[in-house]
Amino acid sequence: MATEIKNSPPEPWFKKARRPKEIDEMIDENTILVRRTLRSGQKIHFDGNVVVVGDVNPGAEIVASGHIIVLGALRGVVHAGASGDEQAAVLAFRLQPTQLRIANHITRPPDDEITGPEQPEIARIKDNMVTIEVFQSSDRYGNLI
Amino acid sequence: MSEIIVVTSGKGGVGKTTTTANIGAGLAALGHKVVLVDADIGLRNLDVVLGLENRIVYDITDVTEGHCRLRQALIKDKRYEGLFLLPAAQTKDKTAVNPEQMKKLCGELAAEFEYVIIDCPAGIEQGFRNAIAGAQKAIVVTTPEVAAVRDADRVIGLLEAAELRNPALIINRIRPKMVRHGDMMGIEDIIDILAVDLLGVVPEDELVVISTNRGETVVSDERSRSGQAYRNIVRRIKGEAVPMMNLDDSGFLGRLRRIIGLK
Repeated sequence: MATEIKNSPPEPWFKKARRPKEIDEMIDENTILVRRTLRSGQKIHFDGNVVVVGDVNPGAEIVASGHIIVLGALRGVVHAGASGDEQAAVLAFRLQPTQLRIANHITRPPDDEITGPEQPEIARIKDNMVTIEVFQSSDRYGNLI
Repeated sequence: MSEIIVVTSGKGGVGKTTTTANIGAGLAALGHKVVLVDADIGLRNLDVVLGLENRIVYDITDVTEGHCRLRQALIKDKRYEGLFLLPAAQTKDKTAVNPEQMKKLCGELAAEFEYVIIDCPAGIEQGFRNAIAGAQKAIVVTTPEVAAVRDADRVIGLLEAAELRNPALIINRIRPKMVRHGDMMGIEDIIDILAVDLLGVVPEDELVVISTNRGETVVSDERSRSGQAYRNIVRRIKGEAVPMMNLDDSGFLGRLRRIIGLK
């Protein structure tokens, strides 16, 4: 299920008000929204960010060059920052992946972990290690991820 | 108005054939005209489970290849008036039939029967694609095992891709005692992953093994709990709202109910 989208809206005939430059820098348009649950055997490969509204079940796979956000339970395999971006993060309402990869780091949950997380969590690389923390709506710089 | 329903699971051995036979027999017992189609070409079982093996003359491939008329291949059940079987071929393989032929066949059967129930082979290859080709609805059977649930999830995804949305789930062979002790996946755990509507839960029952080996169906057994579960499933297929039966019979009341024959 490789998905490709184009970002080329038609040029308007009037002069468009330009966004302030600082806001322009904050916007990343290369994102796809997946509005259903990914089941075993289904996969998404995308050059950009992936947002899933639904679950990612065991046996499903998401590979993205950017961030991966799952508004649901993440139980499958995910690879964020697949083209080497160490700033990429994985965020899920319930982060219980079979395997979690960011850039060239590969992690899996500990074998003895039985209880799943109760709150949204975020995985990212900190000090050259994949770190999982409870997701705070924003850090002190106002950055979500 | 007839319904064409495929019974599938992905994984083998979870009870597709037993479920197909019992649903078919249950519907026929309520006076409906039902045909069961065995789509498991090369590994046919439905005829054995129904005890009709020795009556097969023509099979599904004879029909699709035009060696006989559809009527000639249909086998009438020995117990239920309105129940018929279209057997699979044993000496051929899944490529002997294609999805277009199955679609046409299902259409012809639907013209004569109220319910067309297709027993799907295990796997997700051509046999599966054949079996679902003509179906309007799907029933997914799983057991409370991680591997079976995983395969069911895969199959639900494939069914959705084939426009068979909202399949109904049957959880087979559940052992309430093991679930209670945390040794087996519970109904909620399975629904949590698969996120589909639950059609019924069938408890593990030795009577199923006994009746299946005899070529009988447990759905007609008034005293068996699995039979009750199948009767409930049949009524739900008919559109009735039937509450899920209480599987937990460990307490004093449950035992008492069992002793006096109330389920």
